[in-house]
Amino acid sequence: MKWIAYGPDAWLLQFADKLNDHAFTRARAITRELEQRPPEGLIEFVPAFTSILLEFAQGSFDEAQRKELASRLNRARAVSMARVRAKEIAVCYDGPDLERVAAQGRLEVEQVIERHWRPVYKVYAVGFSPGFPYLGDLDRALHTPRLPSPRAHVPPGSVAIGGVHTGIYTVPGPGGWNLIGRTSARLFRWLAADREESGTSPFLLHSGDRVKFVRVAELPREATT
Amino acid sequence: MSAAVLQIQALGLGVSVQDHGRVGWRRFGVPLGGVMDAHAATWANRLLNNPSGAALLEFLLQGARICFLRETWVALSGADASCGFPLWRAMRMRHGDIMEFPRHRTGVWTYLAVQGGLAIRPRLGSRSTYAPACLGQILKPGDIMDGEPAPAFDLPHSVASRLAPALEQRDYARPPAFRVWPAPQTESFSAEALASFFSSEWTVSSQSNRVGYRLTGRALSSALLPWSEPVRVGAIQVPENGQPIVMMRDAPTIGGYPKLGTVDAADLSWLAQCCPGQHVRFVPVGAWPALE
Repeated sequence: MKWIAYGPDAWLLQFADKLNDHAFTRARAITRELEQRPPEGLIEFVPAFTSILLEFAQGSFDEAQRKELASRLNRARAVSMARVRAKEIAVCYDGPDLERVAAQGRLEVEQVIERHWRPVYKVYAVGFSPGFPYLGDLDRALHTPRLPSPRAHVPPGSVAIGGVHTGIYTVPGPGGWNLIGRTSARLFRWLAADREESGTSPFLLHSGDRVKFVRVAELPREATT
Repeated sequence: MSAAVLQIQALGLGVSVQDHGRVGWRRFGVPLGGVMDAHAATWANRLLNNPSGAALLEFLLQGARICFLRETWVALSGADASCGFPLWRAMRMRHGDIMEFPRHRTGVWTYLAVQGGLAIRPRLGSRSTYAPACLGQILKPGDIMDGEPAPAFDLPHSVASRLAPALEQRDYARPPAFRVWPAPQTESFSAEALASFFSSEWTVSSQSNRVGYRLTGRALSSALLPWSEPVRVGAIQVPENGQPIVMMRDAPTIGGYPKLGTVDAADLSWLAQCCPGQHVRFVPVGAWPALE
């Protein structure tokens, strides 16, 4: 693991150099350790594909503490991936960019859909907007560059492909990924943010989760909160 | 007393409720948010004995108008938008008083704190507004805002006014060189690129907002990262066009551009007050082996 200084009182910890199961498992193990036994002074941590940002209160984290944490994070182990149940998300594949994804991969639309719903995906990172999951590993034939110019308005629940990732838009707004389907699952239940004390997470997916898409012809109705 | 304290009558170029941000939620993709100039906002609250994280109003440049609905202590700080009331001091407003920000002079963001802070229901631990995710109260003309109940505040008899020390009242027209610490891709930039960054004058672009401040100047060579990585508020990202972007409060939590450095948090609040067209400079702090 490599600790890179990221301004005063912050570090970028690089725990892998490739996107694969190893990186995913390391991220889960480190996150779990930080959640269960946060080091003193840790204000915030942000895990992503192969690195994690650690921010500490001003002057609260010295070299001895860093060494102690480094050895703790090195030893951290994750719950075996096989034992993590994948969350199922129903998707209706009728997005406006299905043809574009098919054309660049020299596939039929039906093959795009098949290759998209079949794998079990890993949530490598959550970012871009609240609760937006970066899912991998996406079938190589489906890797599709972002749109030359982003759409001004993408509805939440849009299932999309951006480069080597697939993801789900969580809030209305602009977006440049290729839209291939829709889900009625709410990834960011912002109204639930009021109930944060009750212990319900306002986010459906977290870094380290696994996801399985279920193809449906019609979407189930979801509660609006 | 939690009662109506003021009414928003015109938004001008922008008014929002902010506090010190949503600390602890970036791992879920929620931007930090909060006041763009923490220095000025902190002083506005401090002058009223408010808690440091009390919610206040943040005005962008000019054009807003508010009306006070009861007598209250307030403090203004930050940008000067010719509002006719003094900045950087506690003052008493009366019922019916109007405050307008007709013409922007220096700085970008003006803060108005009211005694006790504004009463807003927190969302994800913060009262700050993040419109893209419907977090916080998105203001419209006519909105009436309540104040939080606050202990009685008054100046001691012998004290005529309470104001921020002169040294703390920043002159945004004359910014210092902003301190920059190394960041994860500092080493991927050539010594020439780094030297050029620190010796050049940069212009704040009009394409700057709560997400990022774009700088224009002599382009720096740069290459995309293979995949995204966490981004700090204050990070200086250099996209393919070589024109740096300093990530501000509403910046996305992860990003794929290489980071040349990180603006010191104390200086970031001052950079936030630099207007489009204003020239800024940077100075290295910390370990920069390539510059030695």
